[in-house]
Amino acid sequence: MNGQAKRLIDAIIAQRSGGNPTLMITTRTKIMLKGVNPERFLTSTPDDPVIINKLRQIGRDLGVNV
Amino acid sequence: MKCATSLLTTAEGAVADIRTQIGPVDGKWVIFFASSDYDPQLVSAAMQQAFPTATTCGCTTAGEIALGHMTKHSLVAMVVGDDLLEDVAVQVVTGIGAGVDLSAAVAAFEQKFGEPASKWRHDRYVGLVLIDGLSKAEERINDAIGNLTDVSFIGGSAGDDLAFKATHIFANGESYGDAAVLVLLKTRHGFGTIKTQSFRATERVLVATRVDEAAREVLEFDGRPAAQVYAEAVGALDGDIAPFFQNHPVGLMLDGEPYVRSPQQRKGDAIAFYCNIAEGMELTVLEGTSIVEDTRAAIAKAETELGGIAGMINFNCILRTLEIEQRGLTDAYGALFADIPTVGFSTYGESLIGHINQTAAILAFKSP
Repeated sequence: MNGQAKRLIDAIIAQRSGGNPTLMITTRTKIMLKGVNPERFLTSTPDDPVIINKLRQIGRDLGVNV
Repeated sequence: MKCATSLLTTAEGAVADIRTQIGPVDGKWVIFFASSDYDPQLVSAAMQQAFPTATTCGCTTAGEIALGHMTKHSLVAMVVGDDLLEDVAVQVVTGIGAGVDLSAAVAAFEQKFGEPASKWRHDRYVGLVLIDGLSKAEERINDAIGNLTDVSFIGGSAGDDLAFKATHIFANGESYGDAAVLVLLKTRHGFGTIKTQSFRATERVLVATRVDEAAREVLEFDGRPAAQVYAEAVGALDGDIAPFFQNHPVGLMLDGEPYVRSPQQRKGDAIAFYCNIAEGMELTVLEGTSIVEDTRAAIAKAETELGGIAGMINFNCILRTLEIEQRGLTDAYGALFADIPTVGFSTYGESLIGHINQTAAILAFKSP
Protein backbone atom coordinates (compact mmCIF):
# COMPACT_ATOMS: atom_id res chain seq x y z
CA MET A 1 0.00 0.00 0.00
CA ASN A 2 1.09 3.55 -0.67
CA GLY A 3 0.24 7.00 0.60
CA GLN A 4 -1.02 6.28 4.12
CA ALA A 5 1.51 8.66 5.69
CA LYS A 6 0.38 11.51 3.44
CA ARG A 7 -3.26 10.81 4.26
CA LEU A 8 -2.49 10.88 7.98
CA ILE A 9 -0.48 14.11 7.67
CA ASP A 10 -3.28 15.75 5.70
CA ALA A 11 -5.86 14.59 8.25
CA ILE A 12 -3.85 15.91 11.22
CA ILE A 13 -3.35 19.27 9.52
CA ALA A 14 -6.99 19.56 8.46
CA GLN A 15 -8.39 18.66 11.89
CA ARG A 16 -5.98 20.73 13.96
CA SER A 17 -6.16 23.83 11.74
CA GLY A 18 -9.86 23.74 10.98
CA GLY A 19 -8.89 24.97 7.53
CA ASN A 20 -7.26 28.17 8.80
CA PRO A 21 -4.28 28.84 6.46
CA THR A 22 -2.03 30.19 9.23
CA LEU A 23 -2.71 27.23 11.47
CA MET A 24 -2.16 24.84 8.55
CA ILE A 25 1.39 26.17 8.21
CA THR A 26 1.94 26.05 11.96
CA THR A 27 0.69 22.48 12.19
CA ARG A 28 2.90 21.39 9.27
CA THR A 29 5.86 22.88 11.11
CA LYS A 30 4.92 21.15 14.36
CA ILE A 31 4.76 17.80 12.56
CA MET A 32 8.18 18.41 11.02
CA LEU A 33 9.73 19.35 14.35
CA LYS A 34 8.26 16.19 15.86
CA GLY A 35 10.29 14.22 13.34
CA VAL A 36 8.18 13.70 10.20
CA ASN A 37 8.73 16.14 7.36
CA PRO A 38 5.41 16.54 5.50
CA GLU A 39 7.24 17.44 2.28
CA ARG A 40 8.76 13.95 2.06
CA PHE A 41 5.48 12.07 1.76
CA LEU A 42 3.40 11.74 -1.39
CA THR A 43 0.44 9.60 -2.40
CA SER A 44 2.98 7.29 -4.05
CA THR A 45 5.20 6.90 -0.98
CA PRO A 46 5.30 3.24 0.16
CA ASP A 47 3.80 2.72 3.60
CA ASP A 48 6.31 2.40 6.44
CA PRO A 49 4.88 1.11 9.75
CA VAL A 50 7.44 3.08 11.77
CA ILE A 51 6.34 6.35 10.18
CA ILE A 52 2.65 5.43 10.43
CA ASN A 53 2.99 4.75 14.16
CA LYS A 54 4.92 7.96 14.65
CA LEU A 55 2.18 9.93 12.87
CA ARG A 56 -0.55 8.29 14.97
CA GLN A 57 1.35 9.38 18.09
CA ILE A 58 1.73 12.92 16.68
CA GLY A 59 -2.01 12.96 16.09
CA ARG A 60 -2.64 11.96 19.71
CA ASP A 61 -0.17 14.61 20.92
CA LEU A 62 -2.01 17.26 18.93
CA GLY A 63 -5.37 16.08 20.16
CA VAL A 64 -6.76 14.93 16.84
CA ASN A 65 -8.36 11.63 16.00
CA VAL A 66 -6.63 9.94 13.04
CA MET B 1 5.90 51.73 24.76
CA LYS B 2 9.28 52.86 26.06
CA CYS B 3 12.71 51.26 26.20
CA ALA B 4 15.79 51.98 28.29
CA THR B 5 19.36 50.77 28.77
CA SER B 6 21.60 51.12 31.79
CA LEU B 7 25.30 50.37 31.97
CA LEU B 8 25.49 51.03 35.71
CA THR B 9 27.15 48.12 37.45
CA THR B 10 24.96 47.55 40.49
CA ALA B 11 21.48 46.09 40.25
CA GLU B 12 19.94 48.83 42.36
CA GLY B 13 21.72 51.57 40.41
CA ALA B 14 20.85 50.13 37.01
CA VAL B 15 17.18 49.67 37.91
CA ALA B 16 16.96 53.22 39.27
CA ASP B 17 18.58 54.46 36.05
CA ILE B 18 16.04 52.51 33.97
CA ARG B 19 13.15 53.88 36.04
CA THR B 20 14.41 57.45 35.53
CA GLN B 21 14.78 57.00 31.76
CA ILE B 22 11.31 55.50 31.42
CA GLY B 23 9.76 58.40 33.31
CA PRO B 24 6.34 58.52 34.89
CA VAL B 25 4.82 55.76 32.76
CA ASP B 26 2.50 53.21 34.34
CA GLY B 27 3.25 50.20 32.22
CA LYS B 28 1.04 47.16 32.13
CA TRP B 29 3.95 44.82 31.41
CA VAL B 30 7.70 45.26 31.82
CA ILE B 31 10.10 42.87 30.17
CA PHE B 32 13.78 43.18 30.99
CA PHE B 33 17.01 41.46 30.16
CA ALA B 34 19.98 41.57 32.50
CA SER B 35 23.63 40.69 32.18
CA SER B 36 24.63 37.84 34.47
CA ASP B 37 26.95 40.36 36.15
CA TYR B 38 23.98 41.51 38.22
CA ASP B 39 22.77 39.60 41.25
CA PRO B 40 19.70 37.88 39.75
CA GLN B 41 17.45 38.05 42.80
CA LEU B 42 18.37 41.68 43.46
CA VAL B 43 17.70 42.80 39.90
CA SER B 44 14.36 40.99 39.67
CA ALA B 45 13.17 42.31 43.04
CA ALA B 46 14.32 45.84 42.22
CA MET B 47 12.54 45.83 38.86
CA GLN B 48 9.27 44.75 40.44
CA GLN B 49 9.69 47.40 43.13
CA ALA B 50 10.40 50.05 40.50
CA PHE B 51 7.29 49.10 38.50
CA PRO B 52 4.92 48.03 41.29
CA THR B 53 1.72 48.04 39.25
CA ALA B 54 3.16 46.18 36.26
CA THR B 55 3.65 42.50 35.57
CA THR B 56 7.43 42.07 35.30
CA CYS B 57 9.48 39.28 33.79
CA GLY B 58 12.81 38.66 32.07
CA CYS B 59 15.99 36.66 32.20
CA THR B 60 19.78 36.79 32.21
CA THR B 61 21.61 37.12 28.92
CA ALA B 62 24.76 36.81 26.86
CA GLY B 63 24.46 40.42 25.69
CA GLU B 64 21.64 42.92 25.39
CA ILE B 65 19.94 44.99 22.68
CA ALA B 66 18.01 48.25 23.10
CA LEU B 67 17.76 51.76 21.72
CA GLY B 68 19.61 50.81 18.54
CA HIS B 69 22.67 49.39 20.28
CA MET B 70 24.05 45.99 21.18
CA THR B 71 25.52 46.15 24.67
CA LYS B 72 27.26 43.93 27.22
CA HIS B 73 27.11 43.99 31.02
CA SER B 74 23.95 46.07 30.93
CA LEU B 75 20.29 46.03 31.91
CA VAL B 76 17.68 46.73 29.23
CA ALA B 77 13.92 47.05 29.63
CA MET B 78 10.74 47.65 27.69
CA VAL B 79 7.57 49.00 29.24
CA VAL B 80 4.36 48.19 27.40
CA GLY B 81 1.15 49.99 28.26
CA ASP B 82 -2.53 49.27 27.84
CA ASP B 83 -2.53 51.10 24.52
CA LEU B 84 -1.05 47.90 23.07
CA LEU B 85 -2.01 45.25 25.61
CA GLU B 86 -5.49 44.37 26.76
CA ASP B 87 -4.11 42.02 29.39
CA VAL B 88 -1.06 39.99 30.38
CA ALA B 89 -0.42 36.98 32.60
CA VAL B 90 2.78 35.24 33.68
CA GLN B 91 3.28 31.70 34.87
CA VAL B 92 6.50 30.11 36.11
CA VAL B 93 7.20 26.42 35.51
CA THR B 94 9.92 24.99 37.73
CA GLY B 95 11.87 21.73 37.75
CA ILE B 96 11.99 21.60 33.94
CA GLY B 97 15.18 19.53 33.89
CA ALA B 98 13.32 16.60 35.42
CA GLY B 99 10.15 16.92 33.36
CA VAL B 100 7.78 19.35 31.73
CA ASP B 101 4.12 19.68 32.67
CA LEU B 102 2.46 22.89 31.50
CA SER B 103 -1.10 21.92 32.35
CA ALA B 104 -1.23 24.03 35.55
CA ALA B 105 0.19 27.07 33.73
CA VAL B 106 -2.32 26.76 30.90
CA ALA B 107 -5.17 26.27 33.38
CA ALA B 108 -4.11 29.45 35.17
CA PHE B 109 -4.10 31.35 31.86
CA GLU B 110 -7.55 29.98 31.03
CA GLN B 111 -8.87 31.18 34.38
CA LYS B 112 -7.24 34.61 34.05
CA PHE B 113 -8.51 35.25 30.52
CA GLY B 114 -11.85 33.55 31.04
CA GLU B 115 -11.75 31.28 28.04
CA PRO B 116 -10.27 27.87 27.28
CA ALA B 117 -6.97 27.64 25.40
CA SER B 118 -8.81 26.27 22.38
CA LYS B 119 -10.69 29.60 22.09
CA TRP B 120 -7.65 31.90 22.32
CA ARG B 121 -7.59 33.83 19.07
CA HIS B 122 -4.21 33.20 17.47
CA ASP B 123 -4.25 36.63 15.84
CA ARG B 124 -4.78 38.48 19.14
CA TYR B 125 -3.04 36.33 21.73
CA VAL B 126 0.70 35.76 21.62
CA GLY B 127 2.90 33.98 24.10
CA LEU B 128 6.45 34.52 25.25
CA VAL B 129 8.62 31.79 26.65
CA LEU B 130 11.91 32.32 28.47
CA ILE B 131 13.77 29.14 29.40
CA ASP B 132 16.79 28.30 31.55
CA GLY B 133 19.44 28.15 28.84
CA LEU B 134 21.34 25.29 30.42
CA SER B 135 18.34 23.05 31.05
CA LYS B 136 18.28 21.26 27.68
CA ALA B 137 14.50 21.33 28.17
CA GLU B 138 13.68 23.69 25.30
CA GLU B 139 12.45 21.02 22.88
CA ARG B 140 10.14 19.47 25.48
CA ILE B 141 8.73 22.85 26.52
CA ASN B 142 8.10 24.03 22.97
CA ASP B 143 6.60 20.67 22.05
CA ALA B 144 4.27 20.78 25.06
CA ILE B 145 3.20 24.33 24.24
CA GLY B 146 2.48 23.36 20.65
CA ASN B 147 0.35 20.42 21.77
CA LEU B 148 -1.71 22.55 24.15
CA THR B 149 -2.41 25.64 22.06
CA ASP B 150 -2.34 27.12 18.56
CA VAL B 151 -1.22 30.49 19.93
CA SER B 152 2.32 31.34 18.82
CA PHE B 153 4.86 31.33 21.62
CA ILE B 154 8.12 33.12 20.84
CA GLY B 155 11.15 33.52 23.04
CA GLY B 156 14.62 32.48 23.94
CA SER B 157 16.89 30.65 26.31
CA ALA B 158 18.53 32.67 29.05
CA GLY B 159 22.29 33.21 28.90
CA ASP B 160 25.10 33.89 31.33
CA ASP B 161 27.63 35.84 29.25
CA LEU B 162 29.16 32.62 27.90
CA ALA B 163 30.17 31.31 31.33
CA PHE B 164 27.79 28.31 30.91
CA LYS B 165 27.43 27.98 34.68
CA ALA B 166 23.96 29.27 35.63
CA THR B 167 21.17 31.16 33.90
CA HIS B 168 18.18 32.76 35.59
CA ILE B 169 14.55 33.51 34.74
CA PHE B 170 12.71 36.42 36.35
CA ALA B 171 9.03 36.85 37.14
CA ASN B 172 7.15 39.17 39.49
CA GLY B 173 10.20 40.07 41.57
CA GLU B 174 11.62 36.57 41.93
CA SER B 175 14.52 34.78 40.25
CA TYR B 176 14.43 31.13 39.23
CA GLY B 177 16.82 28.46 37.96
CA ASP B 178 15.82 25.22 36.24
CA ALA B 179 12.66 27.03 35.19
CA ALA B 180 10.73 28.61 32.35
CA VAL B 181 8.42 31.58 32.38
CA LEU B 182 5.40 31.60 30.11
CA VAL B 183 3.77 34.94 29.33
CA LEU B 184 0.41 35.24 27.62
CA LEU B 185 -0.32 38.61 26.04
CA LYS B 186 -3.72 39.68 24.75
CA THR B 187 -2.86 42.38 22.24
CA ARG B 188 -5.19 45.18 21.20
CA HIS B 189 -4.02 45.56 17.61
CA GLY B 190 -2.35 42.26 16.75
CA PHE B 191 1.24 41.30 16.17
CA GLY B 192 3.63 39.53 13.84
CA THR B 193 6.48 37.15 14.36
CA ILE B 194 9.72 37.42 12.43
CA LYS B 195 11.99 34.43 12.02
CA THR B 196 15.20 35.28 10.23
CA GLN B 197 18.32 33.20 9.80
CA SER B 198 21.06 34.07 7.37
CA PHE B 199 21.61 30.86 5.47
CA ARG B 200 20.93 29.40 2.08
CA ALA B 201 20.45 25.69 1.46
CA THR B 202 23.17 23.72 -0.32
CA GLU B 203 22.48 20.57 -2.34
CA ARG B 204 23.96 18.34 0.37
CA VAL B 205 21.44 16.50 2.56
CA LEU B 206 22.47 14.35 5.56
CA VAL B 207 20.22 11.79 7.21
CA ALA B 208 20.69 11.32 10.96
CA THR B 209 20.77 7.53 11.17
CA ARG B 210 21.97 7.15 14.78
CA VAL B 211 21.49 9.73 17.50
CA ASP B 212 21.56 10.24 21.25
CA GLU B 213 18.60 12.59 21.55
CA ALA B 214 18.97 13.27 25.27
CA ALA B 215 22.57 14.38 24.76
CA ARG B 216 21.69 16.26 21.53
CA GLU B 217 24.37 14.22 19.73
CA VAL B 218 24.35 12.78 16.24
CA LEU B 219 26.46 9.62 16.17
CA GLU B 220 25.96 8.76 12.49
CA PHE B 221 24.87 10.53 9.33
CA ASP B 222 24.00 8.30 6.38
CA GLY B 223 25.10 5.21 8.32
CA ARG B 224 28.66 6.44 8.86
CA PRO B 225 30.45 8.42 11.60
CA ALA B 226 28.79 11.82 11.81
CA ALA B 227 31.98 13.86 12.00
CA GLN B 228 33.41 12.15 8.92
CA VAL B 229 30.27 12.65 6.82
CA TYR B 230 29.95 16.30 7.89
CA ALA B 231 33.64 16.89 7.06
CA GLU B 232 33.09 15.54 3.54
CA ALA B 233 29.94 17.63 3.12
CA VAL B 234 31.57 20.94 4.02
CA GLY B 235 34.96 20.22 2.45
CA ALA B 236 36.98 19.95 5.66
CA LEU B 237 39.74 18.04 3.96
CA ASP B 238 41.86 17.54 7.07
CA GLY B 239 38.86 16.52 9.16
CA ASP B 240 39.06 19.64 11.35
CA ILE B 241 35.35 20.46 11.30
CA ALA B 242 34.97 23.00 14.12
CA PRO B 243 35.97 26.02 11.97
CA PHE B 244 33.09 25.17 9.62
CA PHE B 245 30.35 25.09 12.28
CA GLN B 246 29.44 28.81 12.28
CA ASN B 247 29.01 29.14 8.53
CA HIS B 248 27.69 25.64 7.87
CA PRO B 249 25.06 24.52 10.37
CA VAL B 250 22.36 22.14 9.18
CA GLY B 251 18.67 22.76 8.81
CA LEU B 252 15.35 21.01 8.67
CA MET B 253 13.78 22.39 5.50
CA LEU B 254 10.07 23.10 5.13
CA ASP B 255 8.64 25.19 2.31
CA GLY B 256 12.17 26.40 1.53
CA GLU B 257 12.64 27.70 5.07
CA PRO B 258 15.44 26.31 7.28
CA TYR B 259 14.93 25.47 10.96
CA VAL B 260 18.56 25.65 11.97
CA ARG B 261 20.40 23.11 14.10
CA SER B 262 23.89 24.35 15.00
CA PRO B 263 26.82 22.05 15.67
CA GLN B 264 28.40 22.73 19.05
CA GLN B 265 31.44 20.49 19.21
CA ARG B 266 33.00 17.33 17.86
CA LYS B 267 32.89 14.44 20.31
CA GLY B 268 35.08 11.75 18.78
CA ASP B 269 33.19 10.51 15.73
CA ALA B 270 29.97 12.19 16.89
CA ILE B 271 28.81 15.81 16.73
CA ALA B 272 27.00 17.53 19.60
CA PHE B 273 24.41 20.11 18.56
CA TYR B 274 22.71 23.02 20.34
CA CYS B 275 19.38 21.47 19.35
CA ASN B 276 17.85 18.05 19.47
CA ILE B 277 17.98 16.00 16.26
CA ALA B 278 15.74 12.95 16.00
CA GLU B 279 16.71 9.73 14.27
CA GLY B 280 15.66 9.72 10.64
CA MET B 281 15.61 13.50 10.27
CA GLU B 282 16.87 14.79 6.91
CA LEU B 283 19.12 17.79 7.37
CA THR B 284 20.31 20.12 4.66
CA VAL B 285 23.81 21.56 4.97
CA LEU B 286 23.48 25.36 5.03
CA GLU B 287 25.77 28.15 3.90
CA GLY B 288 25.95 31.57 5.54
CA THR B 289 24.67 34.81 4.01
CA SER B 290 24.53 38.40 5.38
CA ILE B 291 22.99 38.75 8.83
CA VAL B 292 22.59 42.53 8.62
CA GLU B 293 21.02 42.57 5.15
CA ASP B 294 18.78 39.56 5.78
CA THR B 295 17.54 40.99 9.10
CA ARG B 296 16.93 44.40 7.52
CA ALA B 297 14.85 42.75 4.77
CA ALA B 298 12.89 40.63 7.26
CA ILE B 299 11.96 43.66 9.37
CA ALA B 300 10.98 45.67 6.31
CA LYS B 301 8.75 42.82 5.09
CA ALA B 302 7.05 42.55 8.47
CA GLU B 303 6.56 46.31 8.62
CA THR B 304 4.81 46.23 5.26
CA GLU B 305 2.66 43.22 6.16
CA LEU B 306 1.62 44.69 9.52
CA GLY B 307 1.19 48.24 8.25
CA GLY B 308 3.53 49.56 10.94
CA ILE B 309 5.35 48.18 13.97
CA ALA B 310 4.97 49.81 17.39
CA GLY B 311 7.78 47.85 19.03
CA MET B 312 9.81 44.66 18.87
CA ILE B 313 11.37 42.09 21.17
CA ASN B 314 14.40 40.45 19.58
CA PHE B 315 15.58 37.02 20.69
CA ASN B 316 18.92 36.95 18.88
CA CYS B 317 21.10 33.84 18.96
CA ILE B 318 24.46 34.29 20.68
CA LEU B 319 26.09 32.59 17.67
CA ARG B 320 24.75 35.39 15.47
CA THR B 321 26.04 37.95 17.97
CA LEU B 322 29.50 36.34 17.92
CA GLU B 323 29.54 36.41 14.12
CA ILE B 324 28.35 40.03 14.10
CA GLU B 325 31.17 40.92 16.48
CA GLN B 326 33.78 39.00 14.46
CA ARG B 327 32.75 40.84 11.31
CA GLY B 328 32.74 44.26 13.02
CA LEU B 329 29.01 44.70 12.39
CA THR B 330 27.82 45.40 15.94
CA ASP B 331 26.87 49.00 15.20
CA ALA B 332 25.25 48.10 11.87
CA TYR B 333 23.12 45.37 13.45
CA GLY B 334 22.11 47.53 16.41
CA ALA B 335 21.13 50.32 14.05
CA LEU B 336 18.52 48.05 12.44
CA PHE B 337 16.54 48.51 15.66
CA ALA B 338 17.07 52.24 16.12
CA ASP B 339 13.86 53.44 14.47
CA ILE B 340 11.44 51.08 16.21
CA PRO B 341 11.40 50.72 20.01
CA THR B 342 13.15 47.40 20.51
CA VAL B 343 14.54 45.40 23.37
CA GLY B 344 16.26 42.05 23.15
CA PHE B 345 19.10 39.84 24.16
CA SER B 346 21.66 37.35 22.92
CA THR B 347 20.18 33.94 23.65
CA TYR B 348 21.36 30.39 24.18
CA GLY B 349 18.61 29.24 21.79
CA GLU B 350 15.46 30.64 20.23
CA SER B 351 11.87 29.46 20.46
CA LEU B 352 9.21 29.78 17.77
CA ILE B 353 6.95 26.76 17.33
CA GLY B 354 10.04 24.75 18.27
CA HIS B 355 13.57 25.17 19.54
CA ILE B 356 15.90 26.62 16.90
CA ASN B 357 19.46 27.94 16.60
CA GLN B 358 21.36 30.74 14.83
CA THR B 359 18.12 32.62 14.34
CA ALA B 360 16.57 35.91 15.37
CA ALA B 361 13.03 35.27 16.58
CA ILE B 362 11.36 38.67 16.84
CA LEU B 363 7.96 39.62 18.22
CA ALA B 364 6.59 42.70 16.48
CA PHE B 365 3.64 44.59 17.99
CA LYS B 366 1.37 45.97 15.30
CA SER B 367 0.90 49.72 15.36
CA PRO B 368 -2.57 51.01 16.30
